[in-house]
Amino acid sequence: MTSMMRSSALSLALGYVALGIAALILFAAPLWYAWQVTIQEGRVEFLQADAQRLTDVFRRDGAAGLKSFIDARVQMQIAGERILLLTDASLHPIAGNLPAWPADVPPIPGNYTIRVAVANHGTQTALAHVANLGTYKLLVGRDNALFAPLQTHFWYGLAAAIAVLSVAGLLIGLMTRRALLSRVDSIRQTVSAIIHGDLQHRLPTQLHDDELNTLSRTINGMLEQIELLVHGVRNVSNSIAHDLRTPLAELRSRLEELALIRPPAEQAYAEIDGAVADVDRVIRIFDALLRLAEIDAGLRRSGFVALDVADLAANAVEFYAPAAELKGIDLAFRCDGSLWVLGDPILLAQALSNLIDNALKYAPVNGAIEVGVQKHAGGKHAGGEHAGSAEITVSDNGPGIADSEKAKVVQRFYRGDASRGTPGVGLGLSLAQAVAKLHGSALELSDRKPGLRVALNLALDAPGAALPAQQPAAGAVAAAT
Amino acid sequence: MKILLVEDNERVSQFVVKGLQEAGHTTDHAGNGRDGMFLAASEPYDVIIMDRMLPGDIDGLAIIEVLRKTGKRTPILILSALSEVDDRIRGLRSGGDDYLTKPFAFGELLARLDALHRRAQGVNTETPLSVGDLHMEPLTRKVTRGDRPISLQPREFKLLEYLMRHAGQVVTRTMLLENVWDYHFDPQTNVVDVHISKLRQKIDAEFERPLLRTVRNAGYTLTADD
Repeated sequence: MTSMMRSSALSLALGYVALGIAALILFAAPLWYAWQVTIQEGRVEFLQADAQRLTDVFRRDGAAGLKSFIDARVQMQIAGERILLLTDASLHPIAGNLPAWPADVPPIPGNYTIRVAVANHGTQTALAHVANLGTYKLLVGRDNALFAPLQTHFWYGLAAAIAVLSVAGLLIGLMTRRALLSRVDSIRQTVSAIIHGDLQHRLPTQLHDDELNTLSRTINGMLEQIELLVHGVRNVSNSIAHDLRTPLAELRSRLEELALIRPPAEQAYAEIDGAVADVDRVIRIFDALLRLAEIDAGLRRSGFVALDVADLAANAVEFYAPAAELKGIDLAFRCDGSLWVLGDPILLAQALSNLIDNALKYAPVNGAIEVGVQKHAGGKHAGGEHAGSAEITVSDNGPGIADSEKAKVVQRFYRGDASRGTPGVGLGLSLAQAVAKLHGSALELSDRKPGLRVALNLALDAPGAALPAQQPAAGAVAAAT
Repeated sequence: MKILLVEDNERVSQFVVKGLQEAGHTTDHAGNGRDGMFLAASEPYDVIIMDRMLPGDIDGLAIIEVLRKTGKRTPILILSALSEVDDRIRGLRSGGDDYLTKPFAFGELLARLDALHRRAQGVNTETPLSVGDLHMEPLTRKVTRGDRPISLQPREFKLLEYLMRHAGQVVTRTMLLENVWDYHFDPQTNVVDVHISKLRQKIDAEFERPLLRTVRNAGYTLTADD
């Protein structure tokens, strides 16, 4: 029962019922009052007129005349409807249909409400008018029996309206509660399934969009994100376990062997150098992971400045040119001139450098890599008004990536079959992907048959939106030797 | 060089102090912020190595800010376990001159200290540079070895200029990445080595004495000495 009382739908319905009743009463009360006042005034006027008529009789015919007049009227009229009483100065009845002067009326002229016993009608409320006729006292009254049925109808009507309102309100409340409870219950069941670790559940949604449905959709979106993150964390911990275990195992056996064999100094030093290199590899993986976590947390958006993508790409190409030359690879650069975007110069440079580095790893000897920066007219990006986008592409003519693997290669630590035996920690593409995400974009991988083309679209900085007075690029602070 | 090390970790301190002594430097060590602040303010040092996170109520950045406000211009290298780019920028804004993330290679620390010390002594960017018979005129961007002119690409020129300004010192790959290319990340592959070997082709290949030498496990040095 407590759950029933706590049900929000039911209490809302009950609240509305109470409000309806209050409105009904507010409507009836002034009506009732106005009605009562009008009737009262009419009756008082009527009584006063009657008393005046009797006074006229008294003046014309004296007390005896009035007595016979009253007697005649008492004889004639229906009992109870009219009350008449004439007394002497000591309130001793002379004529009329009351046995004695009523105890609740003082013998002073004025209007009073009295209660009288009337034959066939029980005790009735009546209105009385008292007047002085010389030393005599005259009481003229009318009981309220005439109006009683009307009043009764009024009250019955009001009560019926309240009853109908209450029952209807309660029924609607119960039905709403049932409908709502069944949906809330299904949400609750889903959520408790999720709490117990099954992240695949989703809240039921309906075609038409009401508040509850919108809420369910939003929660589903949140669940999607949580599932993604949990998977990410699980993947990362698996990958850390895998990728750090190998160099750590090598390091351990190297050191153990060193302690066991105690080789001559020269050989020992070489082993120690190797151990340091192993540690460096572990540190490098850690750094890459930390950088990824930092980007994923979205904390780096503070480092956004207006930068020229073409300039950034040209520098990266120039940086890798000797390495490409060494491998006999033709590293070409093509661009449409300056393209300004808002972004993090360090991270974008790192992402691009990872892409070129990847291409260099997979392009065949005497192969070709092309880095391009081109402008796309507005409309390609989702997200409202913008000045078009700058597309950075890195294309190679290496083995490419099979469609089935495209989604996997941007995952952490994933290393395609083709990458076996090449150096790297398998974080290059995922870092580039994370950087793209931070900039509101995503890497697009496509086939060149043969080869891979990776594209990164960045929204162009709308003219005027740039803040030229911003702090210098993060790198500039550190670069003043 | 006279160096102050403010670092609370015993092992790291021992390792650094010993290494610096072997490299011929005098080193004072402070294990907490209070001592560090006192020593840094009262003694004349050539370089200060400041750990960022210190026990007690005074941390490394606070000391640096106080020193800079009181007009001390001693070059400071910040050591930190915080590697995020924003942390690095914050460290440099507080008045530090260079930033090194733990764990670090000792060679990297030593090379950076040398560079800081050299920079503090003031460099005139216009005076011609020379190492042995290799000459460079920064203003006209003319480079010659012996009497032979050497033509360099702009980035090669920048690379050689950096090496010449730090002649006789070990320069690490990270220092080159940061100062020549302004890249604050690890490009994974040995791209810097390739640039160096290209530069070597131009300045050393046709000469009897090589000037640009590789220092194992550390980096490179440009020197005319043997």
